[in-house]
Amino acid sequence: MSASDEDDLLAAELALGLLDEAEAAAAHDRLRHDAAFAHAHARWQAYAAGLAADLGETPPARVWSAILAQLPANDNLVTSMRLWRAGAIAASLLVLALGINDWQRAHFAPPPPAPLHAAQPAPLVAVLSGKAGVVSVNFDPASGRLASVVSGVDAGPRAVELWVIPADGRPRSLGLLSQAHPGWRRAPGRASAALQAGVTLAVSLEPAGGSPTGLPTGPVILTGKLASAG
Amino acid sequence: MAAAPEADREISLDRALEAVAGGDRTAFELVYQRTSVKLFGVALRILPERQEAEEVLQEVYLTVWRRAGAFDPARGTAMTWLITLARNRALDRLRQSRRRPSDPIELAGEVADPEPDAEQQAMASDEAGRIAWCLDRLDGDDARMIRTAFFEGASYADLATRAARPLGTIKSRIRRALIRLKECLA
Repeated sequence: MSASDEDDLLAAELALGLLDEAEAAAAHDRLRHDAAFAHAHARWQAYAAGLAADLGETPPARVWSAILAQLPANDNLVTSMRLWRAGAIAASLLVLALGINDWQRAHFAPPPPAPLHAAQPAPLVAVLSGKAGVVSVNFDPASGRLASVVSGVDAGPRAVELWVIPADGRPRSLGLLSQAHPGWRRAPGRASAALQAGVTLAVSLEPAGGSPTGLPTGPVILTGKLASAG
Repeated sequence: MAAAPEADREISLDRALEAVAGGDRTAFELVYQRTSVKLFGVALRILPERQEAEEVLQEVYLTVWRRAGAFDPARGTAMTWLITLARNRALDRLRQSRRRPSDPIELAGEVADPEPDAEQQAMASDEAGRIAWCLDRLDGDDARMIRTAFFEGASYADLATRAARPLGTIKSRIRRALIRLKECLA
């Protein structure tokens, strides 16, 4: 399936920008229906990108600020703060209202008794948002209870898995999230130690039953940071 | 995130772009942190006016935010996709904002480097290093014209004008150089 020498040369000329406009337009058209040519072009594009090997300069911070300022307005900090609060409250209320479903009863340990004393570490909350939907997470360090609400996530047949990514960079599973029911469970021991303010949480789509490897294997669709609600 | 560079590396650029396609801002910031130094270098190489290079860099990342879903890992690495995007945007700007660059190219008639030694060859292990190394094996004028084509949007015809040589001469010598480059990279 490899391109002829002549086609390979044409692919190189296209990738490097040597062709005049009419030749380039004709070659571009071929990319769409000639797989061998498209493959040769992709390879030459990678070579051509190598011409930038010795280039690099740190852009001034104002560039990033300008980029952030131009992202869609419905996605700004005010909105995410609102979501964050609404999500945290919704998580608590829904958990109280609906309790646990049978599936989760089968998979997770029963809850510890509710704490009797007020002097407890503040709960931690996170709202993981993205185009794929919203997941809100509420973790109570005193009881080790983790509550979550999933909304708007279309996972198809795949499972929705929650991860904590501590400073060492190794994701640890916090278990599967039920889309139909909000729920709570005890955070798995090793992962719960990582649940601290500022740590990143992520949601990935995994095969039914969860990641077979213990690390995320599917696309990461949502991320967010855990913050103290106290 | 700066405190945990290992964490950054855990998530590949491909995966990060996939998350950006899903609207993930944390992943977007990660992509910016890991690639903006390179892309700003590319923009500056094409647009020496810093203000213009900064504006193009903004446009590039806003395009990444909107069109990350168009990245296809089967067609090449994320870095190649991003460099190509930055180069194309910067060249568009170059063409809009001024006449084509027309500095004359002085063909020096330099002799190509002698055959490389094995040690030098071993150093060029990654792809980017390889092309730099293979370009060094070419006639200096040819390598310079290939770079000029890529970074200044100069076609064969532009190169011929700027080098004050017939189009056919320039075309056949660059084509020969590309064949040598391909043999070296194979």
